[in-house]
Amino acid sequence: MKCPRCVQRIHRAASLCPHCGFSITDADARFGGEELRLRCLTDSAGILRRGDRERVEEAMKKISKRFPQIFVAVYTGALGEVAHIRQFGFWLLNRSAFEDVPVEKPNEAGILLTIDPESKAAGMVFGYLLDPFLEESDTFECLSRAHASWLEQRYADGIIRALAELESILCKRCRQARRDPEHFQRKVQPPAMMGDTVRRIRAGHRNESVKQSASTREEVEK
Amino acid sequence: MKFPQAWIIAGTLVTITQAATQEAGLPAWKEGERVQLEKDGWVAGGALLAKDPAQVSTAENESKLPEPTAGEIAEPENPRVELPEKFWAEYFGEKPKSFLVDPQGLLSTVDHRDRLAFLNYHASDSAIDLYVYVFKGNQEIPGEAREEELIERFFSKGRPAAVVYYYMSAPELSAIYLSPSLMGAIPGAEQHRALESSVMQAIEKPDPSKQIEAFLVQMSIRIYWMERLAGLGTAAAEPMMASASRPDAPVKKHKMMILLQPWIDKSKPLVLPAALLCASLLAGLVMTGWLRRRARYRFPEFEVEPRLGGPHAAGIGAVISFASAAVPPASQRDQVPDYLKRY
Repeated sequence: MKCPRCVQRIHRAASLCPHCGFSITDADARFGGEELRLRCLTDSAGILRRGDRERVEEAMKKISKRFPQIFVAVYTGALGEVAHIRQFGFWLLNRSAFEDVPVEKPNEAGILLTIDPESKAAGMVFGYLLDPFLEESDTFECLSRAHASWLEQRYADGIIRALAELESILCKRCRQARRDPEHFQRKVQPPAMMGDTVRRIRAGHRNESVKQSASTREEVEK
Repeated sequence: MKFPQAWIIAGTLVTITQAATQEAGLPAWKEGERVQLEKDGWVAGGALLAKDPAQVSTAENESKLPEPTAGEIAEPENPRVELPEKFWAEYFGEKPKSFLVDPQGLLSTVDHRDRLAFLNYHASDSAIDLYVYVFKGNQEIPGEAREEELIERFFSKGRPAAVVYYYMSAPELSAIYLSPSLMGAIPGAEQHRALESSVMQAIEKPDPSKQIEAFLVQMSIRIYWMERLAGLGTAAAEPMMASASRPDAPVKKHKMMILLQPWIDKSKPLVLPAALLCASLLAGLVMTGWLRRRARYRFPEFEVEPRLGGPHAAGIGAVISFASAAVPPASQRDQVPDYLKRY
């Protein structure tokens, strides 16, 4: 887990970035604190044509159908500096209400793809539901697939390719989670306290010493 | 006389009618002429001029000609003998496995090989196979082996075929039969012409070996025309396709194929189970793919503590720049702050 501003690793349940002190409050200060109402596909930059929109919506629907808990949103808009796109995605997924998403799918289950055609950058953020299952590298793979298309300004093609890759990664992660859910659960469990660790070590030592004394007693009896 | 022409025509008609009713009389002997001639010993045209020449001559011949003796009665040079029964099964028991049927060994080994090679070549080049049954010149097909029935039985299925019964040293006795599929397409006259020309070619040769060679060459040529007549000429590819089913068809095998042939033969019984296994595996794969496509995926839901004050999300993903083709995704993989980068 990384900070959207300084891209440094942060620990679980950090209310502020320990490196730069970033929190949602900073994002609110930059982008606005009020709630936004958006549609899942919001093309503020106007880079998608009618036919493109339909194709992209179809790809988004496909993911929602295969993963009934999840929804995908795509936002395009001019954001200014490249560095802001990560913070903007973080802020948008936290602060927006998606009108065309069923109520039973909260933003925790959302995956937001943000494209800034002006600064020519794109980012992908996801909600807490997918936190145990998706890595930064997974989202990077999805964006890499779209890179060639976006270079040629074929935005819709790029989005569709990115979503196809996302779908395959999600399928893989879901199967892994079904096989070994503990593995993913451990990733989001709160960190063990130091006292707990010491207690476990002492308990282990105690068990060892009990075993040793029992074995020496058996030898003496013999 | 208003119509003199009418009188002339009427008169002419009456004359013609009278002439027709009066037949010309036959010549008759004058008194004494015949007696005089008989005395001289010879009457020119006497037989014709007799009152009933046929009766006269027959009666005379019967009375004069002596009965022929047993030695004088002409016998055929080569009396026909029936084909020995031990060869019946080999000739007529089953559909021939080779184009040349010679169980009696009437052809020498070299001739047999050459004729068979020619027939195989013909089969590879023509849509109509040519089967040749070789008999001795004086042999007779047994009555039990009815040719039409045999042709019907053995040559109804498979490629069209022409069957020739060839008699060594007596090619003129040869006979041709066509498989049922050709019977309607090729008229009997054409078959007869083919046989006749083949026989003509054969009888020009003095040697029986050369005779059969010439016969077969000519028959092969005639079959080509029959093929055209039957409309099989366009199916040039068909002989190639069907060559596998032909008996003793010369198949050019690659050396590797010859080496692998024993293995291929051994594995033949396993082909069906292997095919079934492959089919079931394929069906299984298709089914799995189909089920996977239809599958719905649900993630287990874990309690995640909020971070950075974000109520819904803090799982920031990657960012990629597509400003320049010179900066590929691979170079953007390590997403670290600028001040941590080493230049």
